[in-house]
Amino acid sequence: MDKSYLVIENGPCFAGVKRNDHEKAGEIVFNTSHSGYEEIATDPSYFNQIMVMTAPMMGNYGIDNDVWESEQYYINGFIALDIQETGRDQTWLHRLNEFKVPVLSEIDTRGIVTYIRDRGASWGAIVHASDENEAKQKAQELISETRSQEKDWPFRVTTRTIEEVKGDKADGPRVCLMNFGYKRNILRELKKRCSLIHIVPSRTTAKEIKELKVQGVLLSNGPGDPADVEFAVDTIKDLLGEIPIFGICMGHQLLGRALGAKTFKLKFGHRGANHPVKDIRNGQIYVTSQNHGYAVEEKGLPTDVKVSHINLNDQTVSGLECPSRSAFSVQFHPESHPGPRDAVTLFDEFINVCK
Amino acid sequence: MTDMDKIKKVVIFGSGPIVIGQACEFDYSGTQACKALMGLGLEVVLINSNPATIMTDPDLATKVYVEPLKAPFVRKILEAEKPDAIIPTLGGQTALNLALELDADGTLKELDIRMLGSTRETIEAAEDREKFRALLDRVGGKYCRSELVRNFADGIAAGKDLGFPIILRPNYTLGGGGGGIAYSQEEYERMLANALQESPTSEVLVEESILGWKEYELEVMRDKNGTFVVICSIENFDPCGVHTGDSITIAPQQTLTDRQYQDMRDEARKIVDAVGLETGGANIQFAVNPDNGERIVIEMNPRVSRSSALASKATGFPIAKIAALVAMGHTLDEITNDITKTTPSCYEPALDYVVTKIPRFAFEKFEGTKDLLTTQMKSVGEVMSIGRTFKESLGKAISSLENYRGFEEVQFDEELISYPNSQRIFHIAQAFRDGKSVDDIHQLCQVNHWFLEQLKDIIDCELEIKKRGLNPDNILLAKRYGISDMRLADVCGLSEKEVRNLRVKHGVRPGYLRVDTCAGEFKSETPYFYSTYWSRREKREAIQDTVAILGSGPNRIGQGIEFDYSCVRGVKKFRSENNRVVMINTNPETVSTDYDTSDELFFEPLNAEYVAEVLDYTQPKGFVAQLGGQTPITIANDLVAEGYQILGSDLQTIDLAEDRALFSNLCQELNFKIPKAGIAGGINEALKIAQTINYPIMVRPSYVLGGRRMEVVENEEELRDYFTKYDKYISAPTPCLMDEFLENALEVDVDLVRGVDWVVIGGIVEHIEAAGVHSGDSMGVLPPQKLKVETTANIEKMSIDLANKMNIIGHLNLQLAVKNDQVYMIEANPRSSRSVPFVAKASRVPVVDLAVMAMLGYDKARVQPEKYDWAATEYVSVKGVVFPFKKFRDSDSILGPEMKSTGECMGRGKEYSDALLKALISSQNFLPKEGEVFLSLRDKDKDILLSSIKQLSEMGYSLTATSGTAKYLKDHGLNVEVIKKVHEGRPHCVDRIRSGDIALVINTTSGRRSIEASFGIRRSCIDYSVPCITERQAALATILALRSQRDGTISVSPLEKMI
Repeated sequence: MDKSYLVIENGPCFAGVKRNDHEKAGEIVFNTSHSGYEEIATDPSYFNQIMVMTAPMMGNYGIDNDVWESEQYYINGFIALDIQETGRDQTWLHRLNEFKVPVLSEIDTRGIVTYIRDRGASWGAIVHASDENEAKQKAQELISETRSQEKDWPFRVTTRTIEEVKGDKADGPRVCLMNFGYKRNILRELKKRCSLIHIVPSRTTAKEIKELKVQGVLLSNGPGDPADVEFAVDTIKDLLGEIPIFGICMGHQLLGRALGAKTFKLKFGHRGANHPVKDIRNGQIYVTSQNHGYAVEEKGLPTDVKVSHINLNDQTVSGLECPSRSAFSVQFHPESHPGPRDAVTLFDEFINVCK
Repeated sequence: MTDMDKIKKVVIFGSGPIVIGQACEFDYSGTQACKALMGLGLEVVLINSNPATIMTDPDLATKVYVEPLKAPFVRKILEAEKPDAIIPTLGGQTALNLALELDADGTLKELDIRMLGSTRETIEAAEDREKFRALLDRVGGKYCRSELVRNFADGIAAGKDLGFPIILRPNYTLGGGGGGIAYSQEEYERMLANALQESPTSEVLVEESILGWKEYELEVMRDKNGTFVVICSIENFDPCGVHTGDSITIAPQQTLTDRQYQDMRDEARKIVDAVGLETGGANIQFAVNPDNGERIVIEMNPRVSRSSALASKATGFPIAKIAALVAMGHTLDEITNDITKTTPSCYEPALDYVVTKIPRFAFEKFEGTKDLLTTQMKSVGEVMSIGRTFKESLGKAISSLENYRGFEEVQFDEELISYPNSQRIFHIAQAFRDGKSVDDIHQLCQVNHWFLEQLKDIIDCELEIKKRGLNPDNILLAKRYGISDMRLADVCGLSEKEVRNLRVKHGVRPGYLRVDTCAGEFKSETPYFYSTYWSRREKREAIQDTVAILGSGPNRIGQGIEFDYSCVRGVKKFRSENNRVVMINTNPETVSTDYDTSDELFFEPLNAEYVAEVLDYTQPKGFVAQLGGQTPITIANDLVAEGYQILGSDLQTIDLAEDRALFSNLCQELNFKIPKAGIAGGINEALKIAQTINYPIMVRPSYVLGGRRMEVVENEEELRDYFTKYDKYISAPTPCLMDEFLENALEVDVDLVRGVDWVVIGGIVEHIEAAGVHSGDSMGVLPPQKLKVETTANIEKMSIDLANKMNIIGHLNLQLAVKNDQVYMIEANPRSSRSVPFVAKASRVPVVDLAVMAMLGYDKARVQPEKYDWAATEYVSVKGVVFPFKKFRDSDSILGPEMKSTGECMGRGKEYSDALLKALISSQNFLPKEGEVFLSLRDKDKDILLSSIKQLSEMGYSLTATSGTAKYLKDHGLNVEVIKKVHEGRPHCVDRIRSGDIALVINTTSGRRSIEASFGIRRSCIDYSVPCITERQAALATILALRSQRDGTISVSPLEKMI
């Protein structure tokens, strides 16, 4: 009988119980949120990633289409210790199966987390095989295949055309949302505060954006390595100083790069709903929702760019501001979903500079 | 920090004696806070009347005052100590109320003392229900439709609007005292009257019922900058309607969506800000409608609470410590997370496990009380357990309770599912076993489907194993589902040993994971562990000089915080003697389960299975069973059989004390007097034995715990009644034990320690009540006040002889009785005892430290036993006792051989009367300075009490009495008014008590019939908070204390350091 494994590239295999027949490769990441599994699975930032939930019991409260962060499931695998399966008609497990997400349970998630924490983020695959050797071979094939795809991940999850969305606030500003894989809750927060939102593809030029006559540009979150998203950096450079810019997560990293900063890969990233961030400007501390594998380097920032927020767990840059060019950004998710909403006022800050 | 820099000396209030609703969690919080503040270089003064606490150990704070937590005494201490600030948020409702009183009467202002952590305005905003509701309106929070009523008529009117069931919540009472749920008009009227009486402000909130809603609690923390974190979310298994202290609860919450959870979190933050809580911990309870997610706020506590202790242990976030630091002006980002050592404290713990808390109840102790859970807390203790999944953690929690083998089969009773009670979860399990569906059961109990599905999985697993027998796969599954070896043995018809052997053979052993606050995200070295079958066991090397100390498990009547004192003091001593200590315990309220008390903490059930696994994993040189009360003694046999070494007295010695026959032989060999005894399998045999023993006789069924069904029979008729009443407990194989009852004897407790070649007496506590009252329920005094010098010497000699003969190593607790100058040996316990912390504080002999030295084999030359003279103290210390009768409607407050008290307090003074007064003030809450004393005495007490009653009259108290007593007193020249007994027509004495005319009752009685006849007197005293004395020696002592109160000035003094 086939066994099921999470195979870590150049690392160990963790045996688990398979909950469907799907097999996929991806970067293995863990998230420490207690709730919000459905938001996580539909967040485009998790594109090509296999999600290991540290919270042991998933699926407890069922499913709800209203909480989707995009129109589809992005994760390449879902792993948790215990996944609720009951006679109740609509379950989380059914939903994962429906979207062909490979699922493993009854697996040593703590062991996986410890490995990733100590060795750094790794690639891997969920496979079914007769033994570990076969599993490793199958996994390597899947990993190579997935890896060989286009590196600019935001380009793979973004929209292809410019869309217009009407906001709820008639006297609010018109803004542009650069879509690197935006979460719907960013759009929801914008709708509350704007009259019109143009959602533009990740490879939109500055000229095209300027033609939209927007009063601000929000650079969205998105998956992958910001260094692979070169097109957008050029666009942002051209917009800087002309239109106020607010970046979130990938958007923050791209703004950083456009301002001349470097980005680097964190050992295993920040993914969870409990990350303390200090707003250096006013001393406030937020508990934030985070999901990123890369960060902006503090060293070498131009003199007109200041670090506005820091992550208090590891002192990494968690926000930038460049007041002279009306640009600011945060590494974390003020739109939450899942996670605390302590920092949601950052959207108001953005609207205030969209004059 | 500028104005905080001026603060050099801080006072912390404890919470006083253990009562239902306010237990040793405040010892944990006070101790933790004290350590933190001492760490900041502050002078810390602790005030607590409870000697059983660790916080009152004189080594812990700069100064410790064991004095009543009453304004006059505390004011005296504040005047002497001149502190800069007090922190009132760590000692429960008692400390908050005390702080409010000191603020209101101007003491704090006059002495220029700041209140840190909370202010009057904050406390009132959270605790005054009308103010709190106005505040919720401001922040958009919802609450139950309700009305605050201040009199009976308004209450009745409000009831008409709300409809039944109605919840009653009196203002400013602890543990929801006086509250409850009324289902009918009649019930409502009765409860309303009582609730109005209970509230110190005569205010009762009557509110619409939210029965069936899901209940949650958030534990939060805030610093002066407004940084806000949720430390822990807690979800109740029991839907709304059960006090959260009586609910099975789990953490983190499991059945809210992220949106629902974040909405709740946002609202909690708004409430904390609106209440004005500047710094510190708080908890907020919510109810959520399972049908539509509608949410209401139930209440908020602006202080460290019972749930804070649970949340601290559940997450590794030291709430009390951090609360103390933020009260001193530190901010959460400045304080390093103790567990990771690298990240700050302004985070929200991420858990990769599930925590379950189950309360422990004591309904069996209070005859006539229905096992029914309401909004008034009734549990006496709790257990917590950690597992990777809810199923694993639930199973471990049930094992931790000690009195269940697992989900035992029960006679299914649908009614027991349909209302909340302590047995409900077992009947739900049985319902699944009997084939009921999740929906059926949900209909009956409204427990959330998710919980029921989890329970069903466990029962299905048991049924499958029952059908197929054990195999490697299903053993692993069963263990992952938290099913104990004992329960598997019952399911499969094997012995526990057989199951264990099979399990070990298949390599099914638990692994140990760390509680690290961060779900593994950061490396942590903090040695706080739990076992799980979801993880593989890593082998580890034995570390030299490791000892394992077994704790005392959940608090219960008869085994409480006193044993945690012994454990913690023992841990400290072993560590200071260069041993590594592994602590095993399961009680989240304690100091012993704080992760920095021992070298390694294992939060595990205290049964042989789980403890043996820990010992196998940690490989200590031995385990200590004599510090944690009876719990570790019970499992010591099994552990030794598994090949583990017991430290101190060995099993043979333990047997000598535990086995009645062996013990009486031993006493005979030593020529000790022991009460005459016999064993009867039936009434005829009993009657025969009675002729040799003579009445009164103490009778009890064999195999009883804590004095259950133990009674004193005065004559043949009562003996016959007893056998009729307990017919089903008495038979030839389970006979009735009969002991000569040493009427009017003086009882003493001795605590001593014996080493290889030395013995130290820790102290002799003389009971104030005569023989017949359980030692845990009687007041006591050290040094003895009545014993003759030569009798004391004789008791010491007998104790030492017995310890030597038994070959005790470590603690020995003895009970002896003295009658006509003859000393009788009654009982020996080869372990630390309830009286040890009291004795240590009264005599300054570090009893537990000495026991540790004994266990480590230290000899006389090293220990220098001659240094320790227990009688050398210049203070007299009196132990007072508190009872929970108020919480148990229909229970009788008469004292007897069965222990019923929950806690103790200590009064200290240069004079006996002074110490006595303080002990009574701490235990009784107040003693009347004037008013009417009502007397109803049995004949044999009248002469003895006469002169004291005369003194009462001289002090200006007016006297009333029942006819017989009144006649006697009149004959002796006293002015007494006669009051009718209950059966003599109205208005009778109970009416008079209820009407508030009587200030003090002295009611002594014996014999079943008279006891039953006078029940109404005692019960009404409990219900209307009138002090009621039921034993003549206690009456004498109380009158002595009243005199002291009249002429005495208040004196206070800090504890002296241990010798």
